Amino acid sequence: MTTYQEFIQQNEDRDGVRFSWNLWPSSRLEATRLVVPVSCLFTPLKERPDLPPVQYEPVMCGRANCKAVLNPLCQVDFRAKIWACNFCFQRNPFPPSYAGISDVNQPAELMPQFSTIEYVVQRGPVAPLIFLYVVDTCLEEEDLQALRESLQMSLSLLPPNALVGLITFGRMVQVHELSCEGIAKSYVFRGTKELSSKQIQEMLGLMKPAVSGQQGRPAAPQDPSATCRFLQPVHRVDMNLTDLLGELQRDPWPVPQGKRPLRSTGVALSVAVGLLEGAFPNTGARVMLFTGGPPTQGPGMVVGDELKTPIRSWHDIQKDNARHLKKSSKYYDTLANRTAVNGHSIDIYACALDQTGLLEMKCLSNLTGGHIVMGDSFNTSLFKQTFQRVFSKDYSGEFRMAFGGTMEVKTSRELKVCGAIGPCVSLGAKGPSVSENEMGVGGTSQWKVCSLNPSTTLAMFFEVVSQHNAPVPQGGRGAIQFVTQYQHSSTQRRIRVTTVARNWADAQSQIQHIESSFDQEASAVIMARLGVFRAESEEGPDVLRWLDRQLIRLCQKFGQFNKDDPTSFKLSESLSLYPQFMFHLRRSPFLQVFNNSPDESSYYRHHFVRQDLTQSLIMVQPMLYSYSFHGPPEPVLLDSSSILPDRILLMDTFFQLVIYHGETIAQWRKAGYQEMAEYENFKQLLQAPLDDAQEILQTRFPMPRYVDTEHGGSQARFLLSKVNPSQTHNNSNGWTQEPGAPILTDDVSLQVFMDHLKKLAVSSST
Amino acid sequence: MDDLFVKPGNQERGWNDPPQFSYGLQVAGSTRSPLTKRGPPPPAAGLQAPPPCGDPSPDQQATSPHLHGITPPPHKMTTPTHRITPPPSGVTPPLSQATSSPCGSRLPPPPKGGPCPMSRPPSGPDSKAPCGPRAEPDPQPEPDLQAVSSVLAEALEACRQNVSRQVCEDIAKRLRLLEDSWTSGRLSSTVKRRMNALTLEMKSSHWSAADDIHRSLMVDHVTEVSQWMVGIKRLIAETRNLSPELLAFSPADPVQPEPVGN
Repeated sequence: MTTYQEFIQQNEDRDGVRFSWNLWPSSRLEATRLVVPVSCLFTPLKERPDLPPVQYEPVMCGRANCKAVLNPLCQVDFRAKIWACNFCFQRNPFPPSYAGISDVNQPAELMPQFSTIEYVVQRGPVAPLIFLYVVDTCLEEEDLQALRESLQMSLSLLPPNALVGLITFGRMVQVHELSCEGIAKSYVFRGTKELSSKQIQEMLGLMKPAVSGQQGRPAAPQDPSATCRFLQPVHRVDMNLTDLLGELQRDPWPVPQGKRPLRSTGVALSVAVGLLEGAFPNTGARVMLFTGGPPTQGPGMVVGDELKTPIRSWHDIQKDNARHLKKSSKYYDTLANRTAVNGHSIDIYACALDQTGLLEMKCLSNLTGGHIVMGDSFNTSLFKQTFQRVFSKDYSGEFRMAFGGTMEVKTSRELKVCGAIGPCVSLGAKGPSVSENEMGVGGTSQWKVCSLNPSTTLAMFFEVVSQHNAPVPQGGRGAIQFVTQYQHSSTQRRIRVTTVARNWADAQSQIQHIESSFDQEASAVIMARLGVFRAESEEGPDVLRWLDRQLIRLCQKFGQFNKDDPTSFKLSESLSLYPQFMFHLRRSPFLQVFNNSPDESSYYRHHFVRQDLTQSLIMVQPMLYSYSFHGPPEPVLLDSSSILPDRILLMDTFFQLVIYHGETIAQWRKAGYQEMAEYENFKQLLQAPLDDAQEILQTRFPMPRYVDTEHGGSQARFLLSKVNPSQTHNNSNGWTQEPGAPILTDDVSLQVFMDHLKKLAVSSST
Repeated sequence: MDDLFVKPGNQERGWNDPPQFSYGLQVAGSTRSPLTKRGPPPPAAGLQAPPPCGDPSPDQQATSPHLHGITPPPHKMTTPTHRITPPPSGVTPPLSQATSSPCGSRLPPPPKGGPCPMSRPPSGPDSKAPCGPRAEPDPQPEPDLQAVSSVLAEALEACRQNVSRQVCEDIAKRLRLLEDSWTSGRLSSTVKRRMNALTLEMKSSHWSAADDIHRSLMVDHVTEVSQWMVGIKRLIAETRNLSPELLAFSPADPVQPEPVGN
């Protein structure tokens, strides 16, 4: 008998899926009463070293509005060579190539261990990957030099047959012609004028009659070099491009005292998008924007060039005092949607000490699956290594990036799909399985995910549609199929199909079973995504109130208590951690903007709505490990009581790694005991968290900031602001022997939070 | 192993900049299991009792034999006067009562002892070598420019029959840049050694290995090599496309026996 925990883990390992509930309530009414929707976190391209793709195409259900893929849940009649679709019950003959199948000779897709399977599609043109660099030249010389080198370095990391292009911008926008011989030529655009895609293509001389043709198909030009002088294979132009990058000069236009440089980011991006739109629609392409400051002129300008006018803050936004916010957000939003339609993606590498306009530009990456990386300077290891890791490879030497994905969801009749939250856009595909009740990006059963990697994770929301009192559906199981089509980094088209099923349960008689099937980690992340999704359009306090209400309702539903007696309140093990996750979520930078700039908030949210469950949970409630002489390193409570003088703490918040030396440890270290041979063990103790931190640093994308601090150090604030303030200056009588570190804060502690929660949950009036 | 190293981040330009890992370490990736365990929840998530304000960890087992074995001598800490006091000189630090810290705790020295079993990673095989900044291995003889450039020149000669003149000229230009940098002492010995290794791989027709060394040089030493490395990259790419007959590296210097073949 496996436990639910084992079941959940197995399913995540095999299918990349984590459901909020692993037994589904059999009626709509009961489902809504569970508070946390029937939903899942789905990682479409989860790395599966043990799953080689099959070299044939999927067999699909013949019913026009179904087209579900043959899977292990289908009933098969081997003698008649017929299979019944488990979604629409249509009976389908097998194609001729399956003539030889039998009980003992089954194709992989019918075997239970292949609930996730990947197909290689052989037909269709092979299009190379495209990388278009859009480079800001209004940088300090040191930054520009570092960026030149990183870009030159990247030419060694790109697939050799990839196409690469270069656009530079400052006051003007230059599109560089990349030819192998002759002098360097470039096309110059004014940074102030908005241009249509057609105008851009005309000015670049891309309007060739040859490009017309079938829509929607990868229109790979027969000879890319002839069609587009601006995008050339790396292996052909690497030497010239290296020189071109090496000779990149800072923007020559003088910047008067008290002014910002004029940066035409908006036009540069629209030229990049227009160029790709004309030449390579529906082919995997990445626009990579490297910028060192906010757009200051033309369409998409975020702040004026007067330095005395600071860039908008949360305060300005709340007071409706952010002059350019709406207009520029709209500009980038339009651009982002166009990019998504073309199947391209946009990365933003923003390195500057001040804000660079990520708030306005975030949709460029959020809607297209691109990365956002935020650093202080291009000459930092944070940028350099994060950039290198964009080109990292997997266990089989393939790039960890995929392009032009579409994900389709099929559901059995008792279910409908409400929406998705993740780096995707709707494809507007209506159908019988689409719910009218939208959650996240809804109203469709298909989404476009222009760029994915193995950790890209979407939250998917479902609705149970069976009526109350209807019998538990036949077969006893509901099924969902995810069909993800994408361009693999090897340029192959591939289709990954994941088919999952869960049992139905009658919520009236089997509520305890449903309760024990609750995945509190997945649910916390899913509810957090809903919260973050709301926070993009609603005021912060409203989102917190909504989250609180959901938590109270959940506790009322599943808690055991006597009415109006808070002390009697108990939650079962399967929900025991959930309130704590919500407590930390409320304090997290995803829902609190205090102390963060609008750019930072956008950056944190960007990463939160795309990472997998493990990473997301670290973001919600950071990991805290303790190192001491008293035993091996151990995870400890994220609580001020864990801050002890003779411990070293390692905290991972995803965005920061903090090593904190307790008071005694810090004094020992200061005294230099680690240098003495007889205190070798102390030296090792100091080294242990460093080694563990390096393990995290070696794999995390993006590189986190790295803080090495100690008791009383100013940077200890990173730790102090995250731990539960169980002891504060108010309740701690500091000089007694109570261990831990009192925090100077008026924030409520988990204890107070829980007390209120219990009170509200048991109250007859809430 | 001069290709596995970690160097500190750029604290001048980046606030809390993380350390920088070499290409070799990044490719190797992480081998330990990640730190994803959480602390024990407070009893029923604080639903029955307050989160323990005491030590949350199962510390009662703290009295390991290791600690019992050696009772550390107390040691006087007079920190205020010197910010960085030199390590206590004698083997036995002077006895005294510890200085009181603000919250009244005392400062005995850390427990002494040999290897520290408690500081190992919590789980997973500890197969990975520690990756702190390494000392350079004992100095090997510095590679000879002649040996390196002769291989490259021969490869270029072989290419001239199939590859366009302009590309060959471009490669030749970069080879000259390499030689200039080498002779004028602008190349570190790490770069020289790895270039030597790269040419040895080329000589043995191990193109992928050579390409990988080129990549590691670009990632780890881009400032030194960015000007000319692209020529080497191109040369590797062009020579690997040549038919083997065209490639006849002269057995110039005594090379350690290596399997020749593709």
